[in-house]
Amino acid sequence: MPSLDGGHYFLTVLAPINNSGVVERNGAKSSPVHMVREALETLPTALQSPATEAIGLNSPFARNTRTHLARFVVLDDVNFNGRNPVDSIVSAALKTDLLTPQPVDHLPSPYLIFVADFDPDASGAAEPRAYLEALWDIMTAELNAVFCYCYGWDKVTDRASFADFIIAREVETTLPFNDYWVGPPQLPSLPLWSLAAAPGLGIVAAVGFGLASHTPWYCAVGLGVLLFVAGLVFDYGLILSWGRKPFPAAPNSTLPHVLKALYLQHAFTRFVIDHQGDDPATLKAGFRTFLAANRPADLAGPTQAAGVIK
Amino acid sequence: MTETLDLADIQGGVLRAYGRQGFPKARYFFFAVHDATKGRRFVEAIRPRITTASRWDNPKRPAPFAGSHHPRVTDAVRAEGAPDYPGEVRLTKPKVAINIAFTFYGLLALETPTRTLRGMPDEFIDGMAQRASILGDTPYQAGRDAIWRNSNGQTQVHILVSMNAEMDEAGAPIAELETETAWLTRLCGESEGGVVLLTGHGPTDAPYQAMSAVLAAGPSGAPTPTNKEHFGLSDGFGDPVFEGQFPPTAAALRAIGGGKIVGRNEWKPLATGEFLLGHPDEAQEIPGAAMPLAFSRNGTFMAYRKLHENVGSFAAYIADTAKTYARVMGIADPQEAVDTLKAKIVGRWPDGIPLMAAPTHAEWKAFQARQAAAQQAGDKVALAQIALDYVNFKFHPDPDGGRCPVTAHMRRVNTRDMLDPAYPSPKPNDFNLSMLNNRRRILRRGLPYGAVDPAQPSDAGEQGIIFLAVCSSLFRQFEFVQQQWIQYGLDFNAGNDTCPLLGDHGPKDAPDAKFVIPGDAATGRPPFICDRVPQMVEPRGGDYFFVPSMTALRMIGMGVVDPT
Repeated sequence: MPSLDGGHYFLTVLAPINNSGVVERNGAKSSPVHMVREALETLPTALQSPATEAIGLNSPFARNTRTHLARFVVLDDVNFNGRNPVDSIVSAALKTDLLTPQPVDHLPSPYLIFVADFDPDASGAAEPRAYLEALWDIMTAELNAVFCYCYGWDKVTDRASFADFIIAREVETTLPFNDYWVGPPQLPSLPLWSLAAAPGLGIVAAVGFGLASHTPWYCAVGLGVLLFVAGLVFDYGLILSWGRKPFPAAPNSTLPHVLKALYLQHAFTRFVIDHQGDDPATLKAGFRTFLAANRPADLAGPTQAAGVIK
Repeated sequence: MTETLDLADIQGGVLRAYGRQGFPKARYFFFAVHDATKGRRFVEAIRPRITTASRWDNPKRPAPFAGSHHPRVTDAVRAEGAPDYPGEVRLTKPKVAINIAFTFYGLLALETPTRTLRGMPDEFIDGMAQRASILGDTPYQAGRDAIWRNSNGQTQVHILVSMNAEMDEAGAPIAELETETAWLTRLCGESEGGVVLLTGHGPTDAPYQAMSAVLAAGPSGAPTPTNKEHFGLSDGFGDPVFEGQFPPTAAALRAIGGGKIVGRNEWKPLATGEFLLGHPDEAQEIPGAAMPLAFSRNGTFMAYRKLHENVGSFAAYIADTAKTYARVMGIADPQEAVDTLKAKIVGRWPDGIPLMAAPTHAEWKAFQARQAAAQQAGDKVALAQIALDYVNFKFHPDPDGGRCPVTAHMRRVNTRDMLDPAYPSPKPNDFNLSMLNNRRRILRRGLPYGAVDPAQPSDAGEQGIIFLAVCSSLFRQFEFVQQQWIQYGLDFNAGNDTCPLLGDHGPKDAPDAKFVIPGDAATGRPPFICDRVPQMVEPRGGDYFFVPSMTALRMIGMGVVDPT
């Protein structure tokens, strides 16, 4: 599955951090990776409760309406899971010296992991560049504070070079999370006969060859096995190529749609409460007022603010 | 082999709910330990008096189906001539049941070794006040009783000694409760300041928390304990049933509606380890516990919570909303609207009959008539069936809450099979049944406190419930239910809606506190939304306690947890 899937772009970035030496920030001397952590811990999160709404300090990602979800993670090193377990009888038979330490693997440097799930432009062709350039415009200072100790950051001076920096460190997202489908979407499924076709044809061809030519039977059987296996390999390719097709976009699943939907859910609940038991005429008049005030089809109209979770 | 519990090692009150065993009165005393040696001496003096889970003979026990106003499954068991309690009868029922429990800081003050204390769970070390943001208690911290507001330093709550007592004919606690109170006070005095009784319960700063079942005039006119609380609702149904709690016949019957649903829709008792430490639990493991294992085994944890009931707000809100409800639903009888609204909020009609057994007002009345007829005729078979109807139901037939709202109090706190993600499947073999509920059960103990004048209900008085939740993990069981199912609605697709009865409803008159009564597609009944739900219940303080086994209690008292 590609990074562009389900109508959203799933960006995954692995940026190595140059953790050599000591750096100073706000009078404190520390390791670069510590400074990255400090920058992340002081970055405001989205407003996830009425109490945080009162603070008013929102996530910088909420400054536009393109990011559904963003997350940073500092990866210090790979985890050591302990020795690879081996069967004691096998070890005894192979005369393995269990006292010899097994190698412990490490990363050459810590990594900053950045993942974001955002709305692409119309075709997705210009992504992730268009998104990244827009991100640079709305949160330059925050991006600088977070990425400044990464290798190659010295070349980042403007929106274009920021996009270059990120794209060079992007890895393909192979398991995106599509969470806006309310029910299962209509997906084209690979019919069983299309999978049976290639190996089946191989066997039929081999049988035909055996009957038509007067070669020994084992030649036809050998050919049959060969063509059957070739058919299975073809099927494998077929399944993978179908799997690479992007998941269809859920209807109305851009962030402005989602925000409007959440806003309408609140507003409509209030409308229902206020009109319980109304006679049809009053209800109709009330609903007209509701439509005029809330403009359900107008994404730019009254809506929920980005970065606010109610 | 099935689990055979060491009953004499387990404190009483875990297997039985004292309130239903002829102990309608109680006094709970809280102490601070200022001197470890004197504190241990105090514990040692109390230890021989502790009531255990041993089976006792109760000469005053009423005949089956005669003891309470509604038939109970336990009566059905007894009517068959089968025992409803495990083990051999060794004792006569005491007049006052005495039990003891400790906070984390109590164990520390009694010099329990660090090796044991470090194995205690985080939430127990934190205590209830520190967990306020998880429990939804933050707005109510300042309104707690003085004993809980001042629970720090020299006045920190360390030990709970509980006394559950029988009642005399006038509806007062029996005289022995006063004798035992004097004995406990004397013990405390003899410690010469080593152990201090903490006062500060309720508006009078009482030296103990008094409790009493809500009383009503019985058949003879004498005050009789009921299963009501101060809102007038019947409480105490559907308590979990676990392995070892009952002998086989009783276990098989009591597990129906009280245990877990497994296999082909069968009810089985829950694993013992959900309620007693040192036993296998529903994850098929013996959960980690404080070492040595002998210290934790047969012990458990208990949340003590004083819940004030705003009876005035409850009555006024129901009366007011019932008018709109009656108008929208076309109900002519105002009382029917009131009763229906209460039933939708709770999940049971005011007398405890569940909506799942009697979804409409007419069916409720029919159920009552059937019950009255069976009681009149003394028809034990019919009574046994009715007793089961109170508890034997699943939510599978009612996925949208047309009968019982999905956010009704009862459905939230014991979700039974409701959260089974495989329910849309047409194949019953796919069902997970009560799997997502089995690890979230709590034994509910406790009693109401205070009194209410039903003619003039007022929020201002001293009335409510002392809620005791017994479970082997307060974090996984009690706190999860409180945080995710009472103070939140996402698991029920109800967003931020909190429990209509116990939830935090936000600032006064805030428009957001609402409760949805789903419509019913079958009858065409439209949905109804209750909004501006007032605060029905306010926490007035409490704490987390370790309820040790008799073995652990001896170790604590003798100071020999680490015998070296």
